[in-house]
Amino acid sequence: MKNLKVDVTDLKKNFGDNHVLKGIDFKVAQNEVVVLIGPSGSGKSTLLRCLNRLEDPTSGKVIIDGNDISDSKTNIDHARENIGMVFQHFNLFNNLTVGQNVELAPVELGKMSKEEAVKMAKELLDTVGLDDKYEAMPQSLSGGQKQRVAIARALAMNPDIMLFDEPTSALDPEMVGDVLEVMKDLAKKGMTMVVVTHEMGFAKEVADRVVFMADGKVMEEGSPEEVFDNPQNERTKTFLEKVINV
Amino acid sequence: MLKKVFQSIKRYQNSDVPFYNRSMIYLLKLKDIGEDRMKKIIALISCMFGLFVFINVYHEPQVNAAEKTYTIGTDVTFPPFVYADSNNNYVGIDMDLIRAIAKEEGFKAEIKPIGFNAAVQSLSSGQIDGVIAGMTITDERRQKFDFSTPYYKSGIVMAVAPKGNIKGLKDLKGKRVAVKTGTAGATYANSIKDRYGFRTVTFDDSDNVYNDVKNGNSAACFDDSAVLNYGVKTGLGLKVVTKPTDIGSYGFAVEKGKNKELMAKFNSGLKKLKANGQYNKIVEKYTGESATAAQKKASAKADSEGHTFIGLIKQNKSAILDGIFETIKLTVVSIICATIFGVLIGLLGVLPSKFARGASTTIIYIFRGLPLLVLALFIYNGVPSLTGSKVPAFVAGIITLTLNEGAYTAAFVKGGIDAVDSGQMEAARSLGLPFGRSMRKVILPQGIKIMIPSFINQFIITLKDTSILSIIGILELTQTGKIIIARNLEGFKIWTIIALIYLIIITVLTLLSKWVERRIND
Repeated sequence: MKNLKVDVTDLKKNFGDNHVLKGIDFKVAQNEVVVLIGPSGSGKSTLLRCLNRLEDPTSGKVIIDGNDISDSKTNIDHARENIGMVFQHFNLFNNLTVGQNVELAPVELGKMSKEEAVKMAKELLDTVGLDDKYEAMPQSLSGGQKQRVAIARALAMNPDIMLFDEPTSALDPEMVGDVLEVMKDLAKKGMTMVVVTHEMGFAKEVADRVVFMADGKVMEEGSPEEVFDNPQNERTKTFLEKVINV
Repeated sequence: MLKKVFQSIKRYQNSDVPFYNRSMIYLLKLKDIGEDRMKKIIALISCMFGLFVFINVYHEPQVNAAEKTYTIGTDVTFPPFVYADSNNNYVGIDMDLIRAIAKEEGFKAEIKPIGFNAAVQSLSSGQIDGVIAGMTITDERRQKFDFSTPYYKSGIVMAVAPKGNIKGLKDLKGKRVAVKTGTAGATYANSIKDRYGFRTVTFDDSDNVYNDVKNGNSAACFDDSAVLNYGVKTGLGLKVVTKPTDIGSYGFAVEKGKNKELMAKFNSGLKKLKANGQYNKIVEKYTGESATAAQKKASAKADSEGHTFIGLIKQNKSAILDGIFETIKLTVVSIICATIFGVLIGLLGVLPSKFARGASTTIIYIFRGLPLLVLALFIYNGVPSLTGSKVPAFVAGIITLTLNEGAYTAAFVKGGIDAVDSGQMEAARSLGLPFGRSMRKVILPQGIKIMIPSFINQFIITLKDTSILSIIGILELTQTGKIIIARNLEGFKIWTIIALIYLIIITVLTLLSKWVERRIND
């Protein structure tokens, strides 16, 4: 692959005696959308959190955009500026308004002036369909609205890569569509994305590549057609049967 | 680096963020400057705190070098030997004697009315130079102290309520007897209690002993004959039913093997006073018929005019005001110190470093675990006997409250920050914000809101806890109350007045805190 944005080699992560990741090799090219699927406890979220060192790898190498994230000498704050992350539970800053949530990091980190940030925040909120919520407090938003603000907040740092950690799992069903729409738009614009999700429809439609994980290992990977229509691994077959039957 | 710190501090000084909020902001501002420099800054703050203590220690009144000043500890409730008159001056045989001797021998006596027990302990630890408090010379005490030539002879007598049916030692079987901690009366009572089959109960102040007998909780009390006879003559409301026994002599004491010069001066001064008749005059002044009659008349006069609440407040206005002032001073200084200390230790407990968190937990564990009373006595009496340097009572009190209240503050500062959802920190960090800035912009504003009620609560507790410092003789409101009661025996009314004053101060403090809380929340 050319222009590797994510290059993970033999990544292992233990929580005490619990071996969550047992040697993962994982690559993502520029402009690629990769969807991670698998049963719960398979290590998808842990892998994602190792990509911006919210979890410290036990061993192995994590290279993002040529920076070795797993090296403790790397300035992690600097590296994270280019890696946006969206969480399952949104994690909007409860003490700040929607607008301030979006403006905080770029202004604090000296990326732009306050005025520029306000202009940018309004534009970003407009693209996620929430331009009227600029002054609102996060507590007054619905789950779907919160998640779209969270995406705008991550985009405010103008990152090269976006990580999504089960972004629709905590949402009411009728809210899921709005968030997925925003993510699809993002994919169309060429954003490099790694998405952990249970939305198989989204995976089929948007993913360039689907990676199936179980028991801390990558079991199978390929295009959506390959993985969904013609799975090779037994574990993949059982998992897909369950998910699609539900 | 320092320039940077001061600039950031300056920036926040103009804002109207409340003090403790601001101190947190400073800290995290400092955090941004770099984790390794944090240590230097902590060291700087420690130095400033040390300097503050140092200034306080050496802020004690300085006297000219020619006249040497000795600190003399004494009791507060032992008339006619030592007690406070209605102007709150310390008078009595012991007080007049030590002042006359000091004048005769050319030294200065700084009187510390800290109570018998605290005086004896402070003498052992070298906090004071001598004790004169109607102390009977005993073999046991000779182990620790050197005594002067005896200056007064006294014996132990038993006093009972006038209307009771206790007539002698034999009637005490199965009864309870009140004594004052550490006195010869207590030693005597304990030595005969098995023989006569009574139990003893101990109090720290004479007036509590007498009141316990007067209101019938105890059948009798034992105390020095001079003290009890004086009390009976001046309208104490008890009667003496035994002849003086276990005769002993009162002596002035210094720590064993120390302060030989002071002891020599005392002995030579006493000799001169006895020779020139001044000694007899002093004793006559307090125990002679005219003296006791005058005292009785005074208390009768006080009866007629001043046993109402208003009368009592009027009579003791200056003493009570001094007490209030001292209590407020202690409260304000210790709230400031405890908040700084507590916020520092609390923030130490949320840093990523394991060592910092361990240090924070240990400090909280130790100082929250120690009873305040033990901590106060340890710092005032324990530490000086180890290091040999004196700690002024006020400073010891501030250090005690800072450590204890600060430990509680640290615990809820840490708890308040921990109570903020961990996802908030993860989200801030994932955007590339450093730890310190994530704390300051996202975590602390939410944590402080959680902490505010705890801060208000802690301020009120600090105010109340200042009363415990009466144990090391600080003349705050509670100690003032004790001393007034020692003179007029109006326990119920004086404690009611003191309690009301505390409630008023607490109300003011609460209103002030609520006002600050509203301003933060808006």
